[in-house]
Order: sequence, then C-alpha cells, then structure tokens
Amino acid sequence: MEIYVLVKQVPDPEAIVKVKSDSELEIENKYFTSFFDEIAIEAGLKLKEKTGGKVTVLTVDNRRVDALRRGISMGADDAVQIADPALEGADQFALARTLSAYLKDKPFDLILTGRQAMDDDAGIVGPAVAECLGIPHIHSIIGLEVDDQKKEAKVLREVENGKESLTCPLPALFTCQKGLNAPRIPLVMNVMKAMKAQIKKLDLASLGLGPSDVSPYIKIEKYVPPPKRPPVKMIKEDFPENVKTLVKLLREEAKVI
Amino acid sequence: MPNEIWVLAEHREGKVKKIAFELLSAGIEFSKKTGQEVAALLLGSGLEEAAKSLTLFADKIYVMDAPSFTPYTSDAYLASIASLIKEHQPSILLGGATSTGKDLFPRLAMHLQTGYAPDCTGLTMGEDGKLIARRPLFGGKVFAEMAFSEARPRMATVRNNAFLVNESPGKSAKIVPVSSQIDPSLLKKKVTGFEKAAGAKLDITEADIVVAAGRGIKAPENFKIIEDLADALNASVGTTRATVDEGWRDLKDQIGKSGKNISAKLYMAFGISGAIHHILGIGTCKTVVAVDTDPNALIFNYADYGIAGDLFQIVPALTEELKKVFSTE
Ligand SMILES: Cc1cc2nc3c(=O)[nH]c(=O)nc-3n(C[C@H](O)[C@H](O)[C@@H](O)COP(=O)(O)OP(=O)(O)OC[C@H]3O[C@@H](n4cnc5c(N)ncnc54)[C@H](O)[C@@H]3O)c2cc1C
Ligand SMILES: Cc1cc2nc3c(=O)[nH]c(=O)nc-3n(C[C@H](O)[C@H](O)[C@H](O)COP(=O)(O)OP(=O)(O)OC[C@H]3O[C@@H](n4cnc5c(N)ncnc54)[C@H](O)[C@@H]3O)c2cc1C
Repeated sequence: MEIYVLVKQVPDPEAIVKVKSDSELEIENKYFTSFFDEIAIEAGLKLKEKTGGKVTVLTVDNRRVDALRRGISMGADDAVQIADPALEGADQFALARTLSAYLKDKPFDLILTGRQAMDDDAGIVGPAVAECLGIPHIHSIIGLEVDDQKKEAKVLREVENGKESLTCPLPALFTCQKGLNAPRIPLVMNVMKAMKAQIKKLDLASLGLGPSDVSPYIKIEKYVPPPKRPPVKMIKEDFPENVKTLVKLLREEAKVI
Repeated sequence: MPNEIWVLAEHREGKVKKIAFELLSAGIEFSKKTGQEVAALLLGSGLEEAAKSLTLFADKIYVMDAPSFTPYTSDAYLASIASLIKEHQPSILLGGATSTGKDLFPRLAMHLQTGYAPDCTGLTMGEDGKLIARRPLFGGKVFAEMAFSEARPRMATVRNNAFLVNESPGKSAKIVPVSSQIDPSLLKKKVTGFEKAAGAKLDITEADIVVAAGRGIKAPENFKIIEDLADALNASVGTTRATVDEGWRDLKDQIGKSGKNISAKLYMAFGISGAIHHILGIGTCKTVVAVDTDPNALIFNYADYGIAGDLFQIVPALTEELKKVFSTE
C-alpha cells in the first residue's frame, strides 16, 4: 500500500501563547509533532507492516521540518517538505490545494491526517484535501482495518451518541482521533538517523501553482485574549454548610441550576 | 430580497438538536439588521415532527426527504446541499460543531470554494451585513476574529451555548419540499453498524451540565457517586485523561486537548488537578466549580467557585442537597 501522512509541527499544549497585537501572537518556542498527526503516522506504519508498501510523510511549512523527522524516526520511508514565501498567510484551504497539487498524480491508496492540528484546531485540511482529490473521507476515526485485495477499509468513527462502523473504498482519506492507537516512541538510534535523513523540498511553482492559487477564503482580522474569568470564590465554611452555600450560589448568583 | 441565512438543522430520532434552535435564534437576530430571511435545512426521512418543531424559528424550511440521508454520510449530504446552495445562493450557512458538522462543512466549503470558520464560540453581524466569527485557537489560549472573503455562503460551525434559544422567535415557516435525486455512484461510504453508547445520557459536548471526576476518585467503582450527582442534575459525566488511561472511563468522556472541548453552562470538577491539557477543554464553559483536597490545585485558578475539601464527603452531600432543593420546587 502507498500511504501518505500529512503532518505538522505545532506549539506544545504547554507552550505559552499570548496576543502581542491585533495581528500578531507571541508563541513560546516549544514545539512538538501534533498529537493526532503522530497517531496518523502510527496508523500508516501499522498498515505498512501488515501489507507492505511505503509510508511518506508530507508537510507544508516554511520553517520547521521536525514533524517529518519525527515521522522518519518512527519508521516512515520518505519525507517531503513544501515551502514557499507565497504560503505566508495561507489559510487551511490554500494548504489543502497545495497538498493535493502534490498528491494528485501520486499512486496513493490511503491518505491519513490528524483530526485537527493542535494549533488552529480547525480540522479543515483533511476533508478539504479529499475534496480536491475527489476521494471519500471519514473524519475522526478510532478504528481502521484495510483489505488490501479488495481495496476497501473498515472504519470505526465516534459520533455523539455512540460509535459508527463504515466501509469505504480506497483510495480514501481518514482523519485520526485519539483511541485509534498509541504512537510508538522512536529508538534514540533512529532519532539520530532521522536528523540526517534527506528531505525533498518543493516550492509552489514545481507543483504548478502560483500565488493566486493560495489566496485565502478566511482571514484573521484580529487576535483577542480569552475572556477573563473573575477570580475564584473559595467557599471556606465547614462541611456541610459549604455544600449548602455552593447550591445557593449556583442557583442565585450564577443562575445555572 | 437579500439572500437567505441557512441553518443545517441536525436531528436525532426525530428530534431537532438544541444547537439548531440556538443557531436559528442567532439567524433571527442577524435578520433584524439585514432583512434576510432565515431558513432551516432538514435532511432525512419522516421529518414531519422535526419540521413542526422548527416552524416558529424560520421563514422557510427546506425539507429533503430521502432514505440515503439516514444515517448521515457526507456523500449524500454534500451533493444535495451543494446543489440547493447553487440554486438559492444563501448568504450564510451555519451548523453545529458536531461530528456531522465537522465532517461535512470543511469539505462542502472546499467544494463551493468559500470560507468556513470551524468550531466557533460566537458570531456577530455588523449593520453593514459583515459577519465576524470568533473562534478559539491553541485550545482557547487566544481567540481569533475571522472575516470572510467575497465568496458565498459564509460558513461556520458553532459550539453549543454560544447563543440563547429565542423564547419568542415569532416566525411561521413555509415548508419547501426539495426533491433530492442522489446519483447512487456518489454513495461510496456505507454505514454498516452503530453501537449506541451505554446509558441514556447526552454526549458531554451536548450537555448543558457536565460533572467530572479525575484521578482523585481513586477507583472506577467510585464513579457511582458522580453518576448519582449527574442524575440529580440531569447532567453528563466527564473525566480526565488520567482515568481514561487507567481504563476506568471511556475515551468518549475525556475532556481536554486530546479529548473533547465542552461548552457547558455548568462544569463541576471533582479531584481534578487542573493540568493545562484538561483546562483547554473547558475554556468556554460558563460557570466552573472545583472541589479538590489540595487548596493549591491549579484547577482553582480556572474555577468560579471552589471548595478545598474531600470529594467523598462533598459529592454525596451535594446530591442530597440538590434533591432536597429541587423537590421543594
Ligand atoms: C488566514 C490565516 C492566515 C494564516 N497565516 C499563517 C502564516 O502566515 N504562517 C503560519 O505558519 N500559519 C498561518 N496560518 C495558520 C495555518 O494556516 C494553519 O495553522 C494551518 O497550518 C493548518 O492548521 P490547522 O490547525 O488549522 O489545520 P487542521 O485543518 O486542523 O489540520 C488537520 C490536519 O491536516 C494536516 N495538516 C494541517 N496543516 C498541515 C500542514 N501545514 N502540512 C501538512 N499537513 C497539515 C495534519 O494532518 C492535521 O492534523 C494562518 C491561518 C489562517 C486561517
Ligand atoms: C499531549 C498531552 C495531552 C493530554 N491531553 C489531556 C486531555 O485531553 N485531558 C486531560 O484531562 N488530560 C490530558 N493530559 C494529561 C494531563 O497532563 C494530566 O496528567 C491529567 O489531566 C491529570 O488528570 P487528573 O487531574 O485526573 O489527575 P491528577 O493530576 O493526579 O489529579 C488528581 C487530583 O485529585 C485530588 N484529590 C485526591 N484525592 C481527593 C479527594 N478525596 N477529594 C478531592 N480531591 C482529591 C488531588 O489533590 C489532585 O489535585 C494530556 C497530557 C499530554 C502530555
């Protein structure tokens, strides 16, 4: 099977992120490979181990290739970076067009992405790539089995009131959710090797795209800090008065019950 | 007549989800500024009851009745909604940030080559008809106000409780049946089974009240006291990654960065330390209550009301107190 995994290096959930100005954020320099993307890599590797084939990790990023190196250290065969100054300010739809311009003439059976990248949390890129390529997609999968002969996947997806099983012909794109697997921790030796691995680098022109192909549909007008919660009210009375007070506050002050 | 504001009205077992009423209520507010009509979009089969429940909330209800809409797949929905959009050219299309919304909207937006703001916590309409979508980034550490390009419709999915349901919406909808011939070759995915989650509770992303316990609960069987409290409040039960990793609770109930974002009116955390990964999932809850034996637990920095105390003492007493208070109403 030919498997492509779309990956992204994002600020760690513990990184401090603050609004610097209307148009700029201050992001602490603490990055990791987006949690759900590692799950996608792991899913690709598991399938490869079963059916043979190849896993390629792919990122659009002008600065960071660490997610690709993470993929290689986990066992991916190939890594591709797409970078171009015209991509500064690109939205998720522009990214999807860029990624699919690369993928469209590749012999893929399966494309895997994260449920959402852990920065903008948009969950757009996966389904949008599938639309550009004209292949089916399923969002937020927690189970995956592939019948390579029949070119068909059996997928489990989480919905609000339970779990849904689906079948889907390949090629297809799935976005991966926690629960699908536990990503392997790469061996130190493989991490070292990955540091030196060759990474193919492509620009927009080599994909036949121009700057107008990556113009955004949505734009950030303004960053704003989160609404501030008033300081906590600690209820200091002894038990059981504290419980009575809590109920009273919830009913009369917060008015939520 | 300027183009309409549309809301995809999701329903389950014949009942329209609350988020649809919230979004239609928002649409009604917007229409007061813009003079647009508000329309609900209903896809499924046997939709009479669902349509009836929406009558006061829209000027029109587009009803697409076909067996291939149940259960949902993007294959059937996308083709049908896209062609209806091409015909009527609505100005706005809203949906819930649900498993359906998150599966369908990004793909539909790409298909229509139009802008889509996902998982919003607010939408505002300017006097000039400009729509601004507010959404959390980095799990809610910052928010972005998003604007749309010229393309229409402007699309957004919205979390629960971003808007109040209008008590007197005052509309009287006209039902517009839409014939939906779906090319069977487009139906690639097949839903082969459904395993209903145990218990009758709403998903934590849909519930107005969520009560949760973390590792402080000490053993899986102790969740009984949390379940009892949830029953008294008609709430759903959430948890932290710590208990999910222990195998005590199901992943579907995990709140936080690698679990779910909840947007409840009331969130109560018992024996949860308040790691940032967890906190990122509760940023848009209205009122937060925390109970932890450790008075310095981080969770108190994010709570509105706190008690430094033992959950095993407080939870059962709280359940009793609530039952008492509710029974005298
Ligand atoms: C108007 C606008 C302007 C922006 N300007 C900039 C900018 O100037 N510089 C900048 O760095 N960011 C910019 N961004 C952010 C950037 O577009 C997003 O962070 C983008 O990388 C997608 O992240 P997401 O969280 O929204 O993706 P999601 O749609 O949530 O991602 C889902 C999945 O798609 C895949 N994926 C996502 N992004 C990539 C990628 N880049 N490469 C490969 N696979 C991927 C991953 O598998 C991921 O799990 C901008 C965003 C917007 C909306
Ligand atoms: C990449 C990544 C993603 C993550 N994603 C998530 C996520 O989505 N959601 C999530 O929750 N976590 C997530 N985590 C884990 C997170 O960092 C914390 O480890 C976790 O939230 C801790 O869970 P807890 O509060 O239940 O346990 P603990 O931190 O162990 O806290 C238990 C608390 O219970 C209190 N306690 C003990 N006994 C009692 C008693 N009798 N009465 C009252 N209080 C008592 C203690 O004082 C303590 O504060 C993630 C971690 C990583 C690295």
